[in-house]
Amino acid sequence: MAISQEFAPPFKLIAPYFVIGVIVYVFSVFFLFNFDITLISHLDSSVLSWIHFLLLGFVMMIIFGAMAQLVPVVLEVGHFAVELYYIIYPLLFIGTIMMVAGFGFSPQLLPYGGVVVLISLAIFIFETFMTIKRVKKFNLVMTSVALANGFLFFGLIFGLIMALGYAGVVSVDISTFLNAHIYLVFIGYVGITIMGMSMVLIPMFWLSHSFSWKPITYALWLISFGVVSISLSSIFDSLYLENTGYFLTLIALFLYFYQMFIIYKTRVRVENDIYLRSIVFSYIAMWISLILGVLYLFIPSQTVLLAIGWLIIFGYVTFIINGHLYKIVPFLVWFERFSPLVGKEEVPMLNDMLPRRSSNLQFIFSACGVILGFIGILMQNNELFKAGVSFLFIGSVFILKDLIYMIRFR
Amino acid sequence: MYSKEEIFKAISTVKDPEVGFNLVEMGLIYDATCDEDNSVLVTMTLSTKACPLHQMIVQWVKEAVMRELDDIKVVAVEVVWEPEWNITMADENVKEKLSGKMGKEEKKDIWF
Repeated sequence: MAISQEFAPPFKLIAPYFVIGVIVYVFSVFFLFNFDITLISHLDSSVLSWIHFLLLGFVMMIIFGAMAQLVPVVLEVGHFAVELYYIIYPLLFIGTIMMVAGFGFSPQLLPYGGVVVLISLAIFIFETFMTIKRVKKFNLVMTSVALANGFLFFGLIFGLIMALGYAGVVSVDISTFLNAHIYLVFIGYVGITIMGMSMVLIPMFWLSHSFSWKPITYALWLISFGVVSISLSSIFDSLYLENTGYFLTLIALFLYFYQMFIIYKTRVRVENDIYLRSIVFSYIAMWISLILGVLYLFIPSQTVLLAIGWLIIFGYVTFIINGHLYKIVPFLVWFERFSPLVGKEEVPMLNDMLPRRSSNLQFIFSACGVILGFIGILMQNNELFKAGVSFLFIGSVFILKDLIYMIRFR
Repeated sequence: MYSKEEIFKAISTVKDPEVGFNLVEMGLIYDATCDEDNSVLVTMTLSTKACPLHQMIVQWVKEAVMRELDDIKVVAVEVVWEPEWNITMADENVKEKLSGKMGKEEKKDIWF
């Protein structure tokens, strides 16, 4: 395997994804002040507007930026047309804003926003599949990239049908497709992408060696069958398929965590840094949400559902993304700015580029925010929830400040 | 002609930017030979197959040998995956630092 330097996209191409993504994150946390936790439901238009802003503008934006860098690393081939990434992020951002407005106050904008997002994501999927086409021999990580992008494609189709229905353009029962849309995009794409990238990045950063890949291999296939099962259950209105899908997903997630535990135990780099703390916090949050998820199957309650959503979005996804930003951004900046100087003059190490104090404050504020917000939701206490949002907001400002610091490091 | 030790010393000027140790003390350099024509062959590995700096590190090794040793004509680097690198191949100071055995001051520095 040889990742050539020319495979690596220029930093100016990737930086906008991270900058826009983190700015959207700051705003989406700020918008949480508008919510009254005692009154909202997960299907309120304001919640739908907010969730699309966060998931498309922050989660997808950052994942796409990271994929521009990681796809050549994991697929071991160069991008098919890396220049396409220059148009993906503006389209994704514009489409997201239109969708947010569509859900929030102007439903007629929704299908247009949906189409712009669809075009942006379709370009991303096209580029990724054309790059995958260059791969000669598939391994597990490459398979995960192919599966995730396949699920994203179908998730988009469901989403577009729903957007057209929401705007009254076509007559469809939106609730029929909701589960499939959420599952295909959030579990099928985001979940499998995180799973696949974990296989590459976590052992690399922790210098873990000589462990079995069996648990995550089973996890990948089980979660994929789970996503297919739940998508089909939406179409055929089958409770049996739906429950089978939930069960397979749960088993897959337990296997995934077991794999991460094995990697953690075989690591040789025992560094209690912001990366490790973020990953551990995210996994604890996911564990708690899994336990609540099992509880929800027996006691379906809107409060429990919101608490699960809170933990998955802010405890798991946000921490795993932010933790990786502290690894990926210094590397990209170092690669662009300092690698040509190696051997000619003294260059900083990646660790030197981390704003240590500020990143730790970010972690403390964000973690307090997640915990307080979670308790606030469970107790249906709006003051406690808002206190959590306040902490989370300060944490989000720190992550933006840290990102700028790392990008401008000289 | 240069000895293996001299070539290793030249390569030890190359640091892995992620962990901060040089490639020799990390145990990533398996062998180095120099023939009568002053052509050098370095056999090395990387800590992970997914290393995004793969080709750059190979280039730095070549440049370090050319820079540190006079009259070297050619440097070839062969990257191998067998035997797979593991921490037992690293120097004691690398093992200690990576395994978290550090002084009180350094530990304090982790948080602030």
